Amino acid sequence: MLLPRFEYHEPTTLEDALNLLHELGGNARVLAGGTDLLVKMKRKLEKPSHVISVARVPGMDQIIPRNGHAVTIGAGVTAAELARNELVMDRFTPLAIAAGKLGAPPIRNRASIGGNLANARPAADFPPPCMVLNATLKLKSAKGERDIPVNDFFRGPGETVIEPNELLVSLHIETPPPWSGGSYIKLGARKAMEISMVNVAAMITLQSADGPIVDVRIALGAVAPTPVRALAAEDLLVGAIPSEELFRKAGEIGVGMCSPITDHRGTMEYRCMMIEVLTKRCLTEALARAKAWKP
Amino acid sequence: MKTLIQLTVNGEPVEAAVDANRTLLQFLREDLELTGAKHGCGLGDCGACTVILDGKPVNSCLVLAVQANGRSVLTIEGLAENGKLHPIQQAFVDKGAIQCGFCTPGMILSAKALLDTNTKPTEIEIRTAISGNLCRCTGYQKIVQAIQDAAEAMTGKEGS
Ligand SMILES: Cc1cc2nc3c(=O)[nH]c(=O)nc-3n(C[C@H](O)[C@H](O)[C@H](O)COP(=O)(O)OP(=O)(O)OC[C@H]3O[C@@H](n4cnc5c(N)ncnc54)[C@H](O)[C@@H]3O)c2cc1C
Ligand code: FES
Ligand code: FES
Repeated sequence: MLLPRFEYHEPTTLEDALNLLHELGGNARVLAGGTDLLVKMKRKLEKPSHVISVARVPGMDQIIPRNGHAVTIGAGVTAAELARNELVMDRFTPLAIAAGKLGAPPIRNRASIGGNLANARPAADFPPPCMVLNATLKLKSAKGERDIPVNDFFRGPGETVIEPNELLVSLHIETPPPWSGGSYIKLGARKAMEISMVNVAAMITLQSADGPIVDVRIALGAVAPTPVRALAAEDLLVGAIPSEELFRKAGEIGVGMCSPITDHRGTMEYRCMMIEVLTKRCLTEALARAKAWKP
Repeated sequence: MKTLIQLTVNGEPVEAAVDANRTLLQFLREDLELTGAKHGCGLGDCGACTVILDGKPVNSCLVLAVQANGRSVLTIEGLAENGKLHPIQQAFVDKGAIQCGFCTPGMILSAKALLDTNTKPTEIEIRTAISGNLCRCTGYQKIVQAIQDAAEAMTGKEGS
């Protein structure tokens, strides 16, 4: 499979990258790991006349802790990097788990979090964890910058709020409060190299180890044109003492938020059952981590 | 328009002018005539094209040659030393982990990347490490055993 012709740019400063995007705008595509873009170009689904690699833009590949209060993750950070980062595993657990389940090792070594979000596939692994962690995305252009909550970022399959002259530079995530824990479950037909049939991320914050739930977020992927928060299920849980029965009900409500389809990966009925079961399971795992929270 | 790139391939400096739309796999196979990395799917699915880029296994069909500028590439051709097979290669031969051989270069490089950072991998860690490498001859069991043997041979050597 051959790649169509294009002109290649490799800016070495953020300013140069933004100026290039400003000049070339709609004729250019940003290249990070290339595991989505180059596949699309080989399949002739995309034919940009310019490709701008951001691999040599300083800082794009960095995970920067902010004094324990937050973390800034460069858009170019790879799945492999996120999966093995101790801070991410410890405090931003759903993100680390999702990173370890994306594709297979050679894909994880290239696939970036920014590329995954910008690509906006409904079944992608990173959107649900970013949603339950309330990530804010920094978009920059030659004209300015804006911070977009991840929950306002996705517009539809393959569509986001990013303008052609904008670059997704980084994600900012506040550290969840004490007694928080999270998890992520991906269901595919096999363990590796599989796009999800259903994926679920959850974050729970308790008042204390045995206290009621003070905050909870659930996000589901592959079940609708964009990843969705299960807000009604969250409402049921806030203020309640966690229990198996409660989590089962939350899963039931979660199904109501979805519009799953039937395709070769699974039927609508199967997907609905899985949403229910996996929501419950993911909440149970998140709860166990919240109870075991350590300063 | 061609771009001039300089990189290290199997320890040797290489300089070449390449088209932007040339993949690293095409560059290795067609320009450098290093045909060990195979062209399977061309889409990141099969792992036949796996090479090690700056210490990490990647699908060279999804890397542009220009992206490898200034970086270091290891292909299967760079593994044997002074005509002596690398312990992982030897283990694959000894265990019968090679049938048609199409997946073998990729399998061995994925295994090498694993053993470089984890000298005593569990079976699950081995299976995860090669999960991006498909074998149509279905020789996974022998492949896993070969990697286990290689790990033992390599740590044994270090200890002595
Ligand atoms: C074999 C295989 C298996 C896969 N398995 C999975 C899987 O299990 N789960 C999953 O979620 N995905 C999977 N993917 C898809 C892909 O690997 C991921 O979506 C990956 O995270 C994309 O990142 P990238 O850096 O490769 O993006 P690229 O391909 O470089 O870019 C993707 C898109 O985002 C844009 N873009 C990239 N960076 C930026 C930026 N900083 N600012 C603005 N726009 C940007 C590009 O222009 C392009 O449109 C798989 C792909 C392959 C080939
Ligand atoms: S040829 Fe590259 S992964 Fe199949
Ligand atoms: S030995 Fe034939 S594909 Fe693996």
